[in-house]
Amino acid sequence: MNIQITQSPLSDAEKTTLSKVGYVAESERAATVVIADQEVRHISINDDQVEILPIAEALKKYVWVQELYFGLIDVNEAEEVQHLARSADTPVGHFIRVKAGAKLEQPIQSFCLLETPQVRQVLHNITVIEEGAQASVISGSSVADGVHTGQHTCLCETYLRERARCESLSIEQWAKDVDVMSYDRADVAKSAHCSSNKVMVSPVRNHCSRTSTTVGEDATAKDQSIVFAPQGTTRMMEGEIHLRGERAHAESLTRMVTAGGTIGNNAMLVGEADDTEGFLGCDGLKLTSDGEILSVPALRALSEKSQLSHEASVGMVSEEKLAYLESLGLTEDSANELIVQGFLNLKEQEMPAPVRETVKDMISAAKSGSM
Amino acid sequence: MSDNILKIRDLDVFAGETQVLRDVDLTIHPGEVHILLGPNGSGKSSLLQAIMGVPPFRVTKGDIRLNGRSICDLTPDQRAALGFGMAYQKPPEIDGVTLTALAHVMRADATFATEAAALDMADFAQREVNVGFSGGEIKRWEVLKLFLQNPQFLLFDEPESGVDLEHIAAVGAAIERLARSRTANGAKRAALVITHTGFILDYVKADTAHMMVDGRIIATGDPKEMFEQVKSNGYHAA
Ligand SMILES: Nc1ncnc2c1ncn2[C@@H]1O[C@H](COP(=O)(O)OP(=O)(O)OP(=O)(O)O)[C@@H](O)[C@H]1O
Ligand SMILES: [Mg+2]
Repeated sequence: MNIQITQSPLSDAEKTTLSKVGYVAESERAATVVIADQEVRHISINDDQVEILPIAEALKKYVWVQELYFGLIDVNEAEEVQHLARSADTPVGHFIRVKAGAKLEQPIQSFCLLETPQVRQVLHNITVIEEGAQASVISGSSVADGVHTGQHTCLCETYLRERARCESLSIEQWAKDVDVMSYDRADVAKSAHCSSNKVMVSPVRNHCSRTSTTVGEDATAKDQSIVFAPQGTTRMMEGEIHLRGERAHAESLTRMVTAGGTIGNNAMLVGEADDTEGFLGCDGLKLTSDGEILSVPALRALSEKSQLSHEASVGMVSEEKLAYLESLGLTEDSANELIVQGFLNLKEQEMPAPVRETVKDMISAAKSGSM
Repeated sequence: MSDNILKIRDLDVFAGETQVLRDVDLTIHPGEVHILLGPNGSGKSSLLQAIMGVPPFRVTKGDIRLNGRSICDLTPDQRAALGFGMAYQKPPEIDGVTLTALAHVMRADATFATEAAALDMADFAQREVNVGFSGGEIKRWEVLKLFLQNPQFLLFDEPESGVDLEHIAAVGAAIERLARSRTANGAKRAALVITHTGFILDYVKADTAHMMVDGRIIATGDPKEMFEQVKSNGYHAA
């Protein structure tokens, strides 16, 4: 089966742009959704276990989606959010639903694209992985060729229902004068498993992200982020993980590299219920005298039967590792680059090959000062 | 052969504020394999690292020369370019970098494919360099690494320690094969091998042995005789 819900096919230029952030032929994906500027440009579905609608339609079609809309994000959280919640504009964003019990064979792919210089994109996305369903989602963000200004604000609410499993990989490749504000909330219900990987290595002017995940009874949430800040880039991340149900488990690893930009990472792990377990790992590498990394991992235990730990480090590339590679004949520059590439290598989930290449290129370019 | 002679003269080396080598003299000609033995902490690894130019070792007196030219001011990659390579005793882990990826940046993909099998490391292609390697696996990788690098001057720091009996023959044979082969332009290689056990002598025909105690070379002589002497008499000059 192959249902095309939204009309306009993607142009070759759009496909080329998106391929660097994970887009592959739609025949190899369970479903595809692309939001360009301020419209849902394209949706295609290959697997009828997946439903994708523009959020405005989903709100009309399903009464229960109204409960999910601002179900996890507090409208009073920030002025900007308040403003959006009260806005009279029709909301733009995607609604993705994976039906109960579905075991998707192929990933879902989802993209947002800034196509017009100076455009302001404001999205509200809702994703629901229903009871016992298994899905993987690859999402990418990018700008069209030549566009380097714009604003992107995104509210994402993700619901993993009981026993659901979701693996996600998100890759962003904004541009040097783009400002990004993202609010990500996830609710991982009883016995569900969520694993999320984020690649944030391209230049952007300002990226503020606020994430919060609630982990239910016997549920697991794992996340890994790789963050790179070249000169001119500021990334501020605030993350919270709440181990809310008994025996909830979470592991969060963040690897940060600055080559002149600023990175702030406030990560808080809260043990709310008995027999919960959580780990925060925050490691930073500082490559040049410019730039800054502020890493603040925090643990908060509300239950005496909660086991929480963190490891954090910030430093330069180790002299010993450099010497090891140099003694193999690599120059200092290529030894450095290899170490940074390795440091920013996602462990569990393989990055699609073109994304891996993009990441490599971005790091080399930033380090050779050509960005 | 008068070409590419490594000459160490009257060498003092410090690690930070600690003196680790004193008045060391050593000459190695192409085609020769030398053994370095001595008690723990005597300065053997320090000498190899000083030759390779690895921090924190600093030459404060004397010289390390290749064909009469001092290499003390050169960086490790410049020394590697002149033909030095070292199998580490305790190498660092290189997170996120697979053996395949490293072989690739060394432009040695083909060599990796053939030599990994000889050291029973074909299954390690996608493993990260030294990450989670067992003691013996580290040693096998460090030897394999020198095949990829193909240096003329081979420095081995306890290549057999921790290697199990099945693999030790492979490691010994690999060292012998590498040490006795010629470089791409037909030159003879030379090796300096640190060993506590002398086990390596079953596989590699060594020319000379040096005994190091307290940062000094206190004796030089026939390798087998020197091991016998250490067994009966400890680390003392004959
Ligand atoms: N970075 C360092 N800073 C201070 N002292 C050091 C440093 N590295 C080595 N040393 C000291 O120098 C001395 C010689 O060390 P070295 O590693 O060369 O010994 P070794 O002969 O290789 O011993 P082993 O047989 O145990 O490997 C030791 O006392 C050691 O503690
Ligand atoms: Mg040693």
